[in-house]
Amino acid sequence: MKALASLRTERPLLWRAVATIVLVGIALVVSDQVSALTDYYLADAAAMSIVMVGLSFLTGLSGQVSLGHGAFMGVGAYTAAIWAVHHAHTPIVANLALATVVGALVGLLVGLPATRLRGPYLAGMTIAIAVAFTSIISEFGSWTNGDQGLALPTPVAPPRWLVQYLHSTPKAGRPGNMWLADIAIVTAGIAFFFMANLFRSRTGRAMRLVRENEVAAEIAGVSLPRARVLAFVVAAACAGLGGGLTTMVAGSVAPSSFELGLSIEILTLLVIGGIGTLSGALIGGLLYAYSSSWITSLVNATGLKPTSNLAASLDGIIFGGLLIIFVLLAPLGLVGTARLVVARRLRASRTSEARARPSTTT
Amino acid sequence: MDAFLTSRVVTDILEGIVQGVVIGLVALGLVLVWRATRVLNFALGAIATLAAYLGMGLLSYHVGFWWCFVLCIPFGMVLGGATERIVVRPLYGKPELNPIVAMVGLLFLLEAVVGAIWSTTTRAIPVPFSFIHWTLGGRPFALSPLSVFQICAALVLALAIGALFRFTQLGLQLRATAHAPETSRLLGVRVSRMLTLGWMLSCSVGAVAAVIVAAGFATGLTPSEMEAPFAIGFIAAAVGGLDSPVGALVGGVAFGVIEQFVTDYLNANLVLPVALGILILALVLRPQGVFSRPVARRV
Repeated sequence: MKALASLRTERPLLWRAVATIVLVGIALVVSDQVSALTDYYLADAAAMSIVMVGLSFLTGLSGQVSLGHGAFMGVGAYTAAIWAVHHAHTPIVANLALATVVGALVGLLVGLPATRLRGPYLAGMTIAIAVAFTSIISEFGSWTNGDQGLALPTPVAPPRWLVQYLHSTPKAGRPGNMWLADIAIVTAGIAFFFMANLFRSRTGRAMRLVRENEVAAEIAGVSLPRARVLAFVVAAACAGLGGGLTTMVAGSVAPSSFELGLSIEILTLLVIGGIGTLSGALIGGLLYAYSSSWITSLVNATGLKPTSNLAASLDGIIFGGLLIIFVLLAPLGLVGTARLVVARRLRASRTSEARARPSTTT
Repeated sequence: MDAFLTSRVVTDILEGIVQGVVIGLVALGLVLVWRATRVLNFALGAIATLAAYLGMGLLSYHVGFWWCFVLCIPFGMVLGGATERIVVRPLYGKPELNPIVAMVGLLFLLEAVVGAIWSTTTRAIPVPFSFIHWTLGGRPFALSPLSVFQICAALVLALAIGALFRFTQLGLQLRATAHAPETSRLLGVRVSRMLTLGWMLSCSVGAVAAVIVAAGFATGLTPSEMEAPFAIGFIAAAVGGLDSPVGALVGGVAFGVIEQFVTDYLNANLVLPVALGILILALVLRPQGVFSRPVARRV
């Protein structure tokens, strides 16, 4: 235990690598054992947590709000889908890299004017992007097939490295493409390892300073525009990657999946998990994957008619209500609040020890 | 003359104004709240829609159209005041992100509540005005009794708000609160009430805008009816300057006309992208807004 703790403080890079490999390994083993449906949820959660870790970096660290993250995700999703439709034999990894790069480019495009905008203005601009996204998709109907969306060709066989190193093969009694979940988990592992280092890096610290005090950051030699744009590029690249992954896991893409509601759902679940943290993003991703099935079972449990108006709007009521409640009562989210409670406990026990000591010595 | 008045350009301008008054009202609603409390009310569209549903819901109790229309205003006021007291008030002085996130949550919540109560299907409002366009020299003119009603309703409301701010004691207090809250408090202005009142006014303006949108030909009440007007209304307010009510109204009407030209000459899908482009251009050239003065940021 002590060795682990010292590893964490003295060799952080190695610690993060070990932690990532262990977590990815556990997830892969779990993914191997569970039912096909749970496997799909895991894949969805992995993809979504990549999107959320990007937003966690952008909003939590650099303090810029994006209410249009669903649109960035849509950019990645459509990039991957359009490419896969036209070049069915492209390796999956190359296609995901393409989605990431295109996402990053769009992030650069949005991030440049964002350097001139702060707080509410930026939030308003990104919400307009989220609202505009579906009409932009319809505008390029010849590529995106408009409202019908695109169905991806059946994915080619799993990449050789996946079979070779992870022995990931089509499992008995499962759809043949369940190795996609393994891809999603490994990708999420790589993305989280990268982001964990970025959070703790010089860049990450600079971002925090920009959020807390712009003037101090400038005095310390941080270029504000560069820090802001960089945060956008990183967040959009994550969203593009996550969007590309969700598309591959789902096997299709349609504009109705990328309406304003998606952006708000992403933000809600990240705020619940804990914005500005890595584990908060992970929790957010898991919540996202399971939320719709939980809401369905809630509808069944309460005896509501699934076709009733209330059942159809229940997700909005729950997400919207939770978002308000968390902002008012626990703005740090589950992870942040838990950390706060632990820190308070530690401090309280330390002060009580300190108080107890003089009385024993005298 | 008739040929000129029925030409494509004039038709686009007039139809653009009809759309623009709604955008202008949304922008005005945003500015009223922003000036008073420095919160951007992302839930304005949803609050306005709920108020419009409540007001127009009275139609099924055999209340006349005009009564329903007028009653939307107090419904908007109550909802706006409640929002300020319950959701926004605890967040003053908190990080900038918190009120934004809370308002987005409220937007989502209220849209869902409207859908849960009234379903998401479009409901037509029986407006006592014909949507059939007048003709001039045998050619259709851009306006109809309905669109004149839409423009007049917006104009009357905007003038009433303007008169309230310009000529009444209450308006002076509201302006003083927005300008210098501490000094106003020392001089005996009930600042906290003024903040609530700002929200009430803003949401009643939004409610009227929501009814005007729903009254339009081929539209009606839907839970998400205000999403697109809100997005463009925000852009108009940001371009005009979030501190300037006149800028918001003028910007709104201008964006309505631009929207109509883009729809007519290019494509309806390009309306928001074009508006975004204008916003980005305007903010890069004049970040404080076209109609407001730059303010030094406190260090």
